[in-house]
Amino acid sequence: MSKPKAGRSGFLKPVQNRIRTFFSKPQNVILLVLGIVLTISTIYPMLTIVRDTIRLHPGSIDASANAAASQKELLGTTVTGYNWTNLFTDTITTRVGRRRVTQSVASVYLWTPLLNSVLVSVFACLGAILYGGIFAYLVTRTDLKWKRYLSSVFIFPYIMPQWTLAMLWKSLFNSNAASGGSDGLFASVLGLYLPKWWCEGLFPVSVVLALHYAPFAYILIGGIFRNMDASLEEAAMILNTPGWKTFLRVTLPLVKPAILSTVLLVFSSAMGSYPVPHYLKLNTLSTQYVEMNASRAGQASILAVIMMLFGFLILIINQRTTSGRANYTTVTGKSGQRSLVKLGAAKYVLTALFTVLTMMTGILPVVMFATETFLPNPGDYSFLTHGLSGNTTLKWWVTREPAAESGMYGQKGILFNPQILNAFKGTFFLAVACALLAGTIGLLIGYCVSKNRRSKWAAYVNQIAFLPYLMPSLAVGAAFFVFGSSAGIYNTFLLLILAGTVKYIPFASRSALNSMMQLSGEIEEAAIIQDIPWWKRMLCIVIPIQKTSIISGYLLPFMTCLRELTLFMLLCGQGKIITTMLSYYDEMGLYAFSSGINLILVVLILIINTLVNLLTGASIDSGISGSGENRKKKNSNCSG
Amino acid sequence: MKKMVSFAVGAMLAAAMSVSVCAQPVEEVIRQAEEMSLQELYQKAIEESDGKRFDAVGNSGRGQIVLPLLVEELQKIDPSYRLDYEGGWQQPKENKIFDQLTEDIEGSNHIMSMTLIQDGNQVKSKMMDTGLLLNFVPKDWREAEGVARDGNENPLVVQTLNKVFMFNNQGKKTWKNMWDFVRDGEAPLFMGVNSEPINKNFLYMMTDDEYAAIAKEAYEAWDGKNKEYDDLIEDMKLDAEDLGLEGENVQYSLAWDCLWCEKYNAQTDDAPICNTLASASAKDQTGLLVYSKIRNIEETAQSSVNNITIAAYQDDYVGIGGFAYKHYLMIPKTSPLPWTACAMIAFMTTTREGFSPWGKDMGGYSPNPVCNQDHSKDGGDQFPAKNDRGYDWWIHQGKLVVEDPAYCASVSGAMSDWIDGIVADR
Repeated sequence: MSKPKAGRSGFLKPVQNRIRTFFSKPQNVILLVLGIVLTISTIYPMLTIVRDTIRLHPGSIDASANAAASQKELLGTTVTGYNWTNLFTDTITTRVGRRRVTQSVASVYLWTPLLNSVLVSVFACLGAILYGGIFAYLVTRTDLKWKRYLSSVFIFPYIMPQWTLAMLWKSLFNSNAASGGSDGLFASVLGLYLPKWWCEGLFPVSVVLALHYAPFAYILIGGIFRNMDASLEEAAMILNTPGWKTFLRVTLPLVKPAILSTVLLVFSSAMGSYPVPHYLKLNTLSTQYVEMNASRAGQASILAVIMMLFGFLILIINQRTTSGRANYTTVTGKSGQRSLVKLGAAKYVLTALFTVLTMMTGILPVVMFATETFLPNPGDYSFLTHGLSGNTTLKWWVTREPAAESGMYGQKGILFNPQILNAFKGTFFLAVACALLAGTIGLLIGYCVSKNRRSKWAAYVNQIAFLPYLMPSLAVGAAFFVFGSSAGIYNTFLLLILAGTVKYIPFASRSALNSMMQLSGEIEEAAIIQDIPWWKRMLCIVIPIQKTSIISGYLLPFMTCLRELTLFMLLCGQGKIITTMLSYYDEMGLYAFSSGINLILVVLILIINTLVNLLTGASIDSGISGSGENRKKKNSNCSG
Repeated sequence: MKKMVSFAVGAMLAAAMSVSVCAQPVEEVIRQAEEMSLQELYQKAIEESDGKRFDAVGNSGRGQIVLPLLVEELQKIDPSYRLDYEGGWQQPKENKIFDQLTEDIEGSNHIMSMTLIQDGNQVKSKMMDTGLLLNFVPKDWREAEGVARDGNENPLVVQTLNKVFMFNNQGKKTWKNMWDFVRDGEAPLFMGVNSEPINKNFLYMMTDDEYAAIAKEAYEAWDGKNKEYDDLIEDMKLDAEDLGLEGENVQYSLAWDCLWCEKYNAQTDDAPICNTLASASAKDQTGLLVYSKIRNIEETAQSSVNNITIAAYQDDYVGIGGFAYKHYLMIPKTSPLPWTACAMIAFMTTTREGFSPWGKDMGGYSPNPVCNQDHSKDGGDQFPAKNDRGYDWWIHQGKLVVEDPAYCASVSGAMSDWIDGIVADR
């Protein structure tokens, strides 16, 4: 009887030892817990939206097809393949150019939006890379003037809610002749009438998104340019290689990872954008999702699933191209040498050009926002032609009794409006909560993955944490909407915080991972030998050394959350947070309110960014890139 | 073991009974409330909700304004009465009101006590046919003099709103017939048919016999008719057959719908459309939008209400002047405060005070004449477009197309795709 016991004990002991050893390392425990939590919080909402595609929705097309059952019975019915078969195989008879035609359902509801989404994403990537990349090169590798100023203003479009540029585009370029309606600023003041393709559709949507995401390209590509070993280019020069060849053969290959990273990040972000195509009238998967929800709810979920598939595709590409370790922001060279390319006379031309461009994309919107809040009617620029008196007003700011003023729609002025104040409070609370959660989880992931670089589980946790970022925001929002509704937490901060945290963990985890990778293991080992507990090592050694990157990891989710709409718009009512409120005012045409809120938001973000930068050295730029000057300074300190 | 099984069965039965007990009272409360006067309902509301939290969801944010007015009324009876309603009136975005209500009712945590909801089609098919929302008709409303009960009782209508044809009059073109708005070269400003589904309901309702006859009459009186339009109308008989529409003149409605969908210039909301039409630079622009929006124009060198003409106010205008949609008041079958919801609904539909958040402005009409205010002189001689001619005028002379939830729900299955196909091709 004792033999088998001894045998079992002999078999169990090594296993027990291995388990004990495994759990003695905090990074293993954290990775295990976070792996499970993130799998549930990321995958489960996605599964709920897949399930929604095979559910029956009373009052929707799938229910009409099951007319035999009463609507009451349908509430309990769970599975149908109708939404898939109808969308991909059925036809409808309608009118095209007044001719009777029979079309596939997909050609009405799917193919055009899908094509538009892909085209917008591709053009936004190209535009962002060209504009941001060229600017990055000029700022980091040439003797361009006013770099500090230009660099600060260049990231303004990323700070602002993305559709504000779309609204600006409309108020600048719309005209009675091209887009219908009244004349915008260009037409009314300059008499310049631009064609319809310029005013609405694919072109302006691509341009606006490219401008919004160009700071991504600037920061990512600029991070590499800034740290690139100039001796490589100098060697090419010594060998009499022409400048263009040096650029193509030496410079470009070095920034290729950053370009690829920009593509990965911008593609899915552009694809998931709802407000920009909505306001500039382009039918994309995002806008179609919202439009189909009333009568084809299950098929709207299929569109969300398609958007998610793009996210998975991008994740696979990302994994392939970064060889397992997702070092999309890696700084490849660390040279002490850096020589600036002399631009000669072109320096002044390029400085002037980028001053104008950044003025248009960074300063002009802020000026327009401010101006709009003093106009008596939205878009009514009478003061330009008839003087200020009687054609400007303070009512949008200071009205306490809305009934006494026309055009207020029952709203008090911005300064006395409790709804706006509550929405600001809600946003602030949401941003702080998301930043704390995402920042902390991201930090832990970064730390633990850097400690377990060869572990497959660590790689999995890293990927699953990064996945939501590659998912279009609307798809993530739609997944959390279905999940939140079924869990009874729709329109609660809990749901918003959950969605925000899951979506923004990648900001913090990438920033933390990159900085942790640069930490020499010796630092912690010394503390381990002295038996200092893990939490103390983190608080007293690891975090203080890498505090700049870590704070950036908190700052980015905070800033992004402040101006996020697409992710949250399906999850709450319009008064819950400031961006849904802002969007409501824009929809209603109350541009003075939306402009005032935008102005406050931009100023608030700039103040917070500056304060944090002054206090800790962290900033949005260093958070996105996970690199930069601060990193360089620290390397010498951290390598032990 | 037997004890455990019987305990489990007992627990399950108790749980099931508690669900049915929770579900039952709302219907029962409504049944009793329908026989009570407003004052009796106030008393019940005080007993039920004193010191409690009241949540509701609505398509109109003005419900939030009614709540303090109701509390004031209840405090006249019991000065110590308190109701926590701050931020309790939600206004969801993007047509999510139906999902929000469904999840609230079907979930385990019921917080919504009542709703003010629009889009008769979805109300009927998603909320009434499924039994999720219940109708309550106050006794005082039923018995009030002059109440337009027909079409306003089930579901109960708090107000009818009108969207009417308007045009900027600073150009040279004229619009004297409903078909003028869909002639070649026109691009009327209109919210998208899917971004605000009541707009799609209007197109469904156009195929109703009454409005199809108006469309035919207007076409025959139209000076722009030609062979191309004649052929299109004739061809529409095939579409009518496909769509299962059997009305005698339905081809006229379908032709008008088809041309409208082909031409309208989609906008995000009626307010920006109104601002656009009021601008001097919007020459020859037209729109179909909520009438009351014109009250929000501030007079400046560039913008004026006088730049806008209400099409149906022209003496020689022919055809429909726009359409009417409705805001319905309903109670979730799981309402946590059904008596208070009933009192609130009765307050809103039988008193001028309760309807005042809507009644104070032009363009919103209660079926109960007691609640309405006179806006026929709001603009005076200076701004005649603001002189609201009232519900009766709009329905009879203005020939508004009035939403009927049952009709919309019966044709939407087939017509929705037909409309989407045209819109997708624009």
